[in-house]
Amino acid sequence: MADERFISIEGIARRYPAPGGSTTVFENLWLGIPRGEFVCMIGHSGCGKTTVLNVLAGLDAVSDGEVIVDGKPIDGPSLDRAVIFQSHALLPWRSVLGNVAFAVTSRWPKASRVEVEKRARAAIALVGLAGSEHKRPAELSGGMKQRVGIARALSIEPKILLMDEPFSALDALTRGTLQDEVRRICLSTGQTSFMITHDVDEAIYLADRIVLMTNGPQACVAEIVENPLPKDRARTGLHHAPGYYALRNHLIDFLVTRSASFRDAKPEGYDQRHPPLIRPTLNDTPRQAA
Amino acid sequence: MASLASFRVSPALRAGLVSLAILTVLLLAWHLATSGSGPVQAMDPEYAKLMGKTATEGKSAMPGPLDVGRTLWGHLRDPFYVKGANDKGIGIQLAYSIARVAAGYLAAVLVAVPVGFLIGMSPLMGRALNPFIQVMKPVSPLAWMPLALYTIKDSQASSIFVIFICALWPMLINTAFGVASVRKEWLNVARTLEVRTLRRALTVILPAAAPTILTGMRISIGIAWLVIVAAEMLVGGTGIGYFVWNEWNNLSIANVISSILVIGLVGMALDQLLARAQRLVTFPE
Amino acid sequence: MSSFDDAFDPTRRLHRGGCSCGAHASQAAHEAELSADQQIERVVQGGVMRALFPRDATRRAFLRAVGAPAAMAAISQLLPLGTISDALAQGAKPEKTDLKVGFIPITCATPIIMAAPMGYYSKQGLNVEVVKTAGWAVIRDKTLNKEYDAAHMLSPMPLAISLGIGSNAVPYTIPAIENINGQAITLAVKHKDRRDPKTWKGMKFAVPFDFSMHNYLLRYYLAENGIDPDTDVQIRSVPPPDMVANLRAENIDGFLGPDPINQRAVFDGVGFIHVLSRELWDGHPCCAFAASKSFITEMPNTYGALLRAIIEATAFASKAENRKQVAEAIAPANYLNQPLTVIEQALTGTYADGLGNIRRVPNRVDFDPFPWESFAVWIMTQMKRWGQLKTDVDYAAVAKQVFLATDAAKLMTEAGLTPPTATSKTFFVMGREFDPAKADAYLASFPIKRAG
Repeated sequence: MADERFISIEGIARRYPAPGGSTTVFENLWLGIPRGEFVCMIGHSGCGKTTVLNVLAGLDAVSDGEVIVDGKPIDGPSLDRAVIFQSHALLPWRSVLGNVAFAVTSRWPKASRVEVEKRARAAIALVGLAGSEHKRPAELSGGMKQRVGIARALSIEPKILLMDEPFSALDALTRGTLQDEVRRICLSTGQTSFMITHDVDEAIYLADRIVLMTNGPQACVAEIVENPLPKDRARTGLHHAPGYYALRNHLIDFLVTRSASFRDAKPEGYDQRHPPLIRPTLNDTPRQAA
Repeated sequence: MASLASFRVSPALRAGLVSLAILTVLLLAWHLATSGSGPVQAMDPEYAKLMGKTATEGKSAMPGPLDVGRTLWGHLRDPFYVKGANDKGIGIQLAYSIARVAAGYLAAVLVAVPVGFLIGMSPLMGRALNPFIQVMKPVSPLAWMPLALYTIKDSQASSIFVIFICALWPMLINTAFGVASVRKEWLNVARTLEVRTLRRALTVILPAAAPTILTGMRISIGIAWLVIVAAEMLVGGTGIGYFVWNEWNNLSIANVISSILVIGLVGMALDQLLARAQRLVTFPE
Repeated sequence: MSSFDDAFDPTRRLHRGGCSCGAHASQAAHEAELSADQQIERVVQGGVMRALFPRDATRRAFLRAVGAPAAMAAISQLLPLGTISDALAQGAKPEKTDLKVGFIPITCATPIIMAAPMGYYSKQGLNVEVVKTAGWAVIRDKTLNKEYDAAHMLSPMPLAISLGIGSNAVPYTIPAIENINGQAITLAVKHKDRRDPKTWKGMKFAVPFDFSMHNYLLRYYLAENGIDPDTDVQIRSVPPPDMVANLRAENIDGFLGPDPINQRAVFDGVGFIHVLSRELWDGHPCCAFAASKSFITEMPNTYGALLRAIIEATAFASKAENRKQVAEAIAPANYLNQPLTVIEQALTGTYADGLGNIRRVPNRVDFDPFPWESFAVWIMTQMKRWGQLKTDVDYAAVAKQVFLATDAAKLMTEAGLTPPTATSKTFFVMGREFDPAKADAYLASFPIKRAG
């Protein structure tokens, strides 16, 4: 059970001061993520999913509740939780190697120069950029930049990988390739990952579980959907996989209709502390929430 | 097309040729405007001996380009002579001025960059110090001179102080602005990597703000060079400003124009130096 | 008229021109026979005699009654004249030999400047750097800062500094005047037919500094001609080189300026010399050798050596036949930085007047170190007259503090004697008699004034 709640979000709330009171982005949010799982969070803009990620990263503080990671409450950013930023956030005055080495040095301040470079090169090779170590970010394409961002995040061997719509700025082709890379790496290392996205297919391909957020303000986790597709699924053949359409329709239905109406028409027995876990069957008949 | 191609010159060369043509026209006009009109009136030769050429030959009070060229060449041929405390070569005077600018300017860098960091990194300090900066910034640097002379009691230190104070503001404001506008995502990268404040300042904020800081430094060096000439004219003793004043005292316009040219060239060199430094720290995004 | 006269000669009137012994064709020839040491002695003796007998007539009566040798002996008993002369003549080893003395590049500074290239300072064992300075305010500030040990100042400046007008009050002194006369009113050439000052309403004039003889003389001249210098004309403070440029640019109509600026305006064909300052007040002081009181008390030997060098240089410069040599010494870029002929014309008094005439006025400028206290009193009456000095001051006391008419006062006090009150004389400024004892009445007699 400890693994069930490797990351445990416990009743957090985030409120911003606003004219005439305060705006509540979300409230009493509960979520557990087991070790080694890839979790995607889906929701419309403004539902606070980025805030959730920032809270996990330690970049944002909660107004209420707390987040426990590996038994310890979060208290600011940590090298245990690496972030891949939507806009890659590379330091433009450093080379590819320099950007990754910057992270490596932060993780192992006492490491020798040689060791730092070795680890950095390894991370760069892992994302398929070997040979481009001395290029500046400005010389790289968008996809390559994001690969560097991924290399930088992985180079510090984090316990958790946090991704904030990492591929949304990329063209479809590049996005697909990078999704493959991420899935390959995460599967092979058993990396616990949390990704924000609004791309349903991306979630279906990458996630073990998909967390559905209702619209904000006062957003909440409507349900958690287990991905029934086989572990060895391939991106190109995804739409042929049994159960794909059921899952996809379920998610899209949620985004189109239920995400807006959920707050006012909560299902019987809905408990914010234990959002319902949905396991879609592999036949293409969407199941309603239990 | 082929014949056209053979005449084709690079844009840089073409611009150079136009510049040269403009210069020639200007020099020619200058020469014609300042050439004398011959003896103006019948004058007792004894009396004429006591008078200057402006009075006797109708020579313009403005020297012509040839006079200025001769004077300039005279200075450049022997820039480092010393004929007494009040008569030194133009090279020595420039060295004095540059040394003063360097001293005041470096002191300003040492103050402006850390304080600018403080202001840029702390919105509280930024807001608290802003009124002071806004009041002090528009004060003409030379307005500080009497105060400096009165309190520091040393004209050399006072002119360095004036350089310091005039070089301070652009650097301070640009540093604060550069630091405050470092992209949030770069700071977030540093935060998630648990980079400590000092290392963050040196490895993230400094390089990120460097182009803006260098812009401030470039503005500052320009102002400092403008001000040193004025300050030295005021305080005297040594320096290119004193040189100008001394020649003005002698009403030697040819010398004044020569020094103006030299001042311009040195100012340009200083600016280019900073421009080069700026290119070094500028990063493409 | 010269300070180099023998004060013990009963037939000599101390303040008038001509050779003092009568044996020489000119005063210059007379003085040529005196050694420098004798000259120093004369200056000191003259100072003491003047101190004891402020009125010339009394002194002459006294000397006639007792005979010069007896008078010399009698006074020497009371006053160690030899000691005073010794202190200035040989001077113990200077406390400080590397000195900086500031000057403004005008001919008034002649003795201070020429003492450097002509070796008067080094003869006294001093290594003096004479530093060209950009303006009067700067020379004041640099001297107050002690960057300069002593400086060339306009003679009203030490009074203003001591009185705290225009700066903090710092006790300042004039151990020696440098030059008398040597200034002029220069007008733009276009005014060559407008020589009557009564027609000058609305004109714009320049003077070198607010606290200058130039300012007071110009105001005096205008006021005597019925022009109110504050309301009828404009008078601005303009640095001397800017005077010529402003005259050329027609920003000003004329100026009462120092030489060689007047001559330079003529040389450049932009102005003519309307009147020499000696025609307003023959023998007026202009610039002075100035030092802070603390310099004198802290380094009496240095001060003595410096003063001695200045006095010797002044004596040399006062001789007409030396003027060309002096002009050559001070004209180069290191000093005045002016064409030699301009300096020569200003110093020799053979000059072009800017209207096509060559004039010969040998004493256009003269050099005389003696700082009459009555000069100081006159200056203060003018400061008061034009509202610079707003409080009542004890003219005589301030004059004595600032114009060190003789070092005797100090030495007398040390010897346990009571120094005499003042060393003064009466003189005429544009025909109006000035008696320092009746300064208030003098001030009250002006129809045009701001105060008093």
